[in-house]
Amino acid sequence: MLDELLAGLKKKDRRSLARLITLAARGEPILLGPSARQARVLAVTGSGGVGKSTLIGKLIEQFRALEKSVAVLACDPESPLTGGALLGDRFRMPAKPDDTGVYIRSLAARSGQQAVAEHLETIVRLCEQFGFEIILIETAGAGQGDTDVRNLADVVVLLLQPETGDDLQWEKAGLLEVADVIVVHKADLPGVEQAVAQIQGMVELSGRAVAVLPVSSKTGQGLAELARKLTELPLRTRSASDHTQLLQLLKAEVERRYRNIDRSGALATIVQGKATNEERVQAILEHLV
Amino acid sequence: MATEPLRVVLAKIGLDGHDRGIKVVARALRDAGMHVIYAGLWQTPEDVVRTVADEDADWLGVSLLSGAHMTLVPRLLQLLREANMPDVRVLVGGIIPEEDIPKLLQMGVARVFGPGTPLPEIVDFLKQSSGAAHA
Repeated sequence: MLDELLAGLKKKDRRSLARLITLAARGEPILLGPSARQARVLAVTGSGGVGKSTLIGKLIEQFRALEKSVAVLACDPESPLTGGALLGDRFRMPAKPDDTGVYIRSLAARSGQQAVAEHLETIVRLCEQFGFEIILIETAGAGQGDTDVRNLADVVVLLLQPETGDDLQWEKAGLLEVADVIVVHKADLPGVEQAVAQIQGMVELSGRAVAVLPVSSKTGQGLAELARKLTELPLRTRSASDHTQLLQLLKAEVERRYRNIDRSGALATIVQGKATNEERVQAILEHLV
Repeated sequence: MATEPLRVVLAKIGLDGHDRGIKVVARALRDAGMHVIYAGLWQTPEDVVRTVADEDADWLGVSLLSGAHMTLVPRLLQLLREANMPDVRVLVGGIIPEEDIPKLLQMGVARVFGPGTPLPEIVDFLKQSSGAAHA
């Protein structure tokens, strides 16, 4: 069945893509060859209610005007109690049903762990193989602890809005330091100049080259500039010789597999009879690879 | 592998703006452990079919309070057939006159839930008709 779906993916069959994403999200291993060309992967993060879905809806229009095909992977939190989720992002992303250059998919992010869905990397690669030129990832919010998405995206866009506390709020670790572009959203609201100035000050102190752009999805202010910026920023090289990144990915993968066997209850059986932690680690490693 | 959550697309088709009912249903299905994709108001049958296809949904629930169900639901079912999605099952909710219910079922709708339906009834129906593979 998998081979059939992968053949469908090559032929740009959307149903095959949709099905493969479901399988990947469930943790089914899907082996993909190298892609013909590299997609531009953009991640949009920020607190709930800051306008991530709305902005992505507007960005879809901008990218379509530039004749780029766009896949959106919208992550929303899953309940830690029931496993249920209400995925309500695409509702704010108007898409024309006959435009085959846009694909929107809602994904549940395991609550309390990450701001993006598990196995998102495989899902991104599936969209890339299908031929989408731009892949937009919407995180489940939070804004903090979104470091996973940084490994995956070429550009991380952080959304902030005016009137969200004093300048100390921006100083909190993890928020500004993951961003490549900072959007002060809802720029039609009062207080936007002050927010932009404060954030620019913080960015200058950090010494990183981060653009700070006021944008309003309501009035359209700054949208074209943002879209242009996002298509111009350099892609992150995905070379196999980048050991830091490889190690990071390896660590994440081992952790993920470990969690899976722990969750399935198989861990107890694997470490059974192993007296020391070293022996347990060996047994788990043997099981993992 | 553990049971996989059902993927359910919920949408309002047609021009009425009454989304209270469908939002209550969305919440009940979420609390029952399902993944609910809420597509929102004023959807055309074409919009909804695209959403169901791209989201790889198991179920589609549409709500109509406008009286246009005998026009829009047949169109929706026809588009689903044309899009080669025979596995996707369709629920209809909202204000549906008693005499139209058998006609909708005849066309291929799995079930019609009117106002006042206890939420567990909808949850149980989805779970039971989806088989053991799903939560």
